[in-house]
Amino acid sequence: MRAFAITVLLFFKHYFRDRSSVFWGMIFPLLLMILIGLAFGRGENISFPVGLIDEGGGPVTQGLRQGLAQVAVFRLTEEENRSTALDALRRGRRTLVVIVPRFGSGEPIRVYYDQARVQDSRTALIILERFIAEANLRLAGVQPVLKVEATGVAAARQVRFFDFLLPGILAMTVMNSGLNGLTWVITEYRQRLVLKRVLATPVHPLVFLGGLITRYAATNLVQLAVIVLVAVFVFHATVVGSFWVLAGLALVGTLVFVGMGIAISTVSRTPESANLFGSALSFPMMFLAGTFWPREFMPAFLQPVISLLPLTPLVEVMRAVAARGEGVGPYLAGLLYLAGWGVIAFILAAWRFKWE
Amino acid sequence: MADAALQVRHLVKRYGPLVAVAGVSFDVARGEIFGILGPNGAGKTTTLEMIEGLRRPDEGTAVVDGVDVRTDPRGVRARIGVQLQEAGFFERLTVEETLTLFGSFHRRAAPAGTIIDRLQLGEKRRAWAGTLSGGQRQRLSIAVALVNDPPIMFLDEPTTGLDPQARRNLWEIIAGFRREGRTVVLTTHYMEEAERLCDRVAIMDHGRIVALDAPRALIREHTPGTTVAVTISGGDAALERLPGVRHVQHENGEALLSSTDPIQTVHALMDLNRQGDLHFHRLRVEEATLEDVFLHLTGRRLRE
Repeated sequence: MRAFAITVLLFFKHYFRDRSSVFWGMIFPLLLMILIGLAFGRGENISFPVGLIDEGGGPVTQGLRQGLAQVAVFRLTEEENRSTALDALRRGRRTLVVIVPRFGSGEPIRVYYDQARVQDSRTALIILERFIAEANLRLAGVQPVLKVEATGVAAARQVRFFDFLLPGILAMTVMNSGLNGLTWVITEYRQRLVLKRVLATPVHPLVFLGGLITRYAATNLVQLAVIVLVAVFVFHATVVGSFWVLAGLALVGTLVFVGMGIAISTVSRTPESANLFGSALSFPMMFLAGTFWPREFMPAFLQPVISLLPLTPLVEVMRAVAARGEGVGPYLAGLLYLAGWGVIAFILAAWRFKWE
Repeated sequence: MADAALQVRHLVKRYGPLVAVAGVSFDVARGEIFGILGPNGAGKTTTLEMIEGLRRPDEGTAVVDGVDVRTDPRGVRARIGVQLQEAGFFERLTVEETLTLFGSFHRRAAPAGTIIDRLQLGEKRRAWAGTLSGGQRQRLSIAVALVNDPPIMFLDEPTTGLDPQARRNLWEIIAGFRREGRTVVLTTHYMEEAERLCDRVAIMDHGRIVALDAPRALIREHTPGTTVAVTISGGDAALERLPGVRHVQHENGEALLSSTDPIQTVHALMDLNRQGDLHFHRLRVEEATLEDVFLHLTGRRLRE
C-alpha cells in the first residue's frame, strides 16, 4: 500500500515536471478549443451580406429595397456599380449581389451568387426567391390562402458552440493521455530498462503499474479541471451537468484508453513506433467521433465506422452531461461498449506485456 | 560451504539454439567479494539475472541466503541488492525521490539520507536523475541496490564506462561493503578491477566457467609467471639457461623470458651485460595478470 501511494505521488510530481506532458494535456486542448471556436463558433446568428444595385429607382424598386432591408438575415449594402459589386462577391464579402432593373423594362431581377460557398449562397437564394414570390403576390393583389408561421423549437436550453465543443475536447484529452502519453512512457521505461529495474525489487509489478495508471487518472482530472475552468471563465462556456458525473466519466475513459495504451506498448518496441501507433488511432478518432463538430457532418458511409470508435460513446455521454445536463442512463449501452474496449485492451496487455 | 551466502548449481539458459549459460556452478561465502570476469557475451549478466530471479533458468538453480530462486524469486529479491547494467531511472525524479520510491518497494528501507551520504551524492540530493553524470548515475544505481540494507549485493559491471577517477572512487565504495560484512558478487571485464577487488574470481567464456580461484592463485597456476623483457642490441647468450627461465620467446625485437625467479634472472642478465657477452639497451619486468590467465585459457584477449 505504501509502495502504491508513493508511486502515485512521485509520478504525479514527475508529470508536472515534464513540460511536454503539460503541453499535450492542457495547452494543446485549450489551443484546439480556441482555434476551433474561432473558426466555427462566431455567433449563432446567421447573416448574409447582400449587395444591391438599383437601376430603376421607381416606387416598386423602392418598395423592394425596403422589403429586402427588413429580411433579418440579409445585411444590405448599396453598391456603386456592377463591377465593384461583383468584385466584392468574388472576394467573399457578399453572399449575393442583386440587381434590380427599371420597373417595366421586362428585364429580370438578376442575382449573382458565390459558387465557392454553395451552402450559404443556396440558403440566401432560397430566402430571396421566397421574398420575391411574396412580393409578386402582393403586387398582383392576391391574398395568400396559406400562411406559414414558423416557430423555432429551441432545446430546453440554448447550446452555444463552446458548450458543445468543451465536452468533446475533454474526451479527446482523456483519449490522448492513454493513446499518445502512456504508450510513449511505457515503451520508454522499458527501453531504458527502468521497468526491469523495478522488477528487480520485491514489489509486485501490478502495484507499480497500478500506481502509474492511477497517476494518469489523477493528472487527467487535473487537466480537465484546468480546461473546464479556462473554458468557463475565459470563453464563457457553460457546464450544466454534474461535475462529479463528468469526473466519473473521465475516470472510466482514462481506464479504457490507458488500457489501450498499454496494449499498444506490447506490440511496439520503441517509444517512437508506439507513439506512431497511438497517433494513428487517436488522430482519426479526434476528427471523426463528433469531438469538434457533430458527427452528422461526416459523410453517411463513415457513420457505421464512427459508431464503432471507442471515443464516440465517450464524447456523446460527456456532451449529454456537460452541455445538456442529461443523466448517463440513456448512454449506458455506449458506456458498456466503451468498457468492452477497455476489457479487451487489458486482456491483451496482460497476455503480451513485457518488462524488458 | 555450509553457510554459503550463495549456492549456484548447474545453471543453464538457452535462447533458441544459442546456449547463453551452459551449466554454471559456484558457491560464494559470506563476506566475500566474488568476481565474474569475462568478455562481453560470455554469459555473465544472464548468470547474474538468473540468480537474482529476473530470468528463469532452463536448468539448475541458485540458493540465495537460504532461499531457492526457482521457488521464491521475490523472496530472493527482498534479500538482495541489485545494480543492473545500464538500467535507467525516472528522469525527472530527484536522487532523494528515487531512493524513496525504490525504498517503498521493499518491506524495510534504510533512510535515503544515509545512503546518499554513503555514496557521496549529497550535493545531488535534489538534482533530477536525468541530469547526473555517468559516475553519479552509477553511484545512484548502487545506492538503489543498497536501499534495503541487503546482506548480499549483485553489481553488474559497476564501473563500465566510467573514467579512471570515478572507477577508483567506486572501488573504494565496494571495498567498504566488505568491511560491513556484506557479500558482493560483481561482473566485470576489467581484469584490474577483478584483481584489486575480488577475493575470488570466476573466469567465464562462452557460457562456462573456465577457471575459479583467488586472483593470485589463478595467475600462479595459469601463467608462466613473470616476464622479463630485454631488447638485445648485440652479443649472444643461451638465454634459456639463465636461472629461473622456463621459456624464451622473441617478439617485436624483444626477448621475452618467462621466469619463475625474476630476481635471479635479472641478476644473471646484468652479469652478462657487464662481462660484455650480451648488449641490451632496455629491460622491463612484467607481472602476469588475469589478462594473461584469460589469454592462456581461451587463446583470446578479454577485450576484443
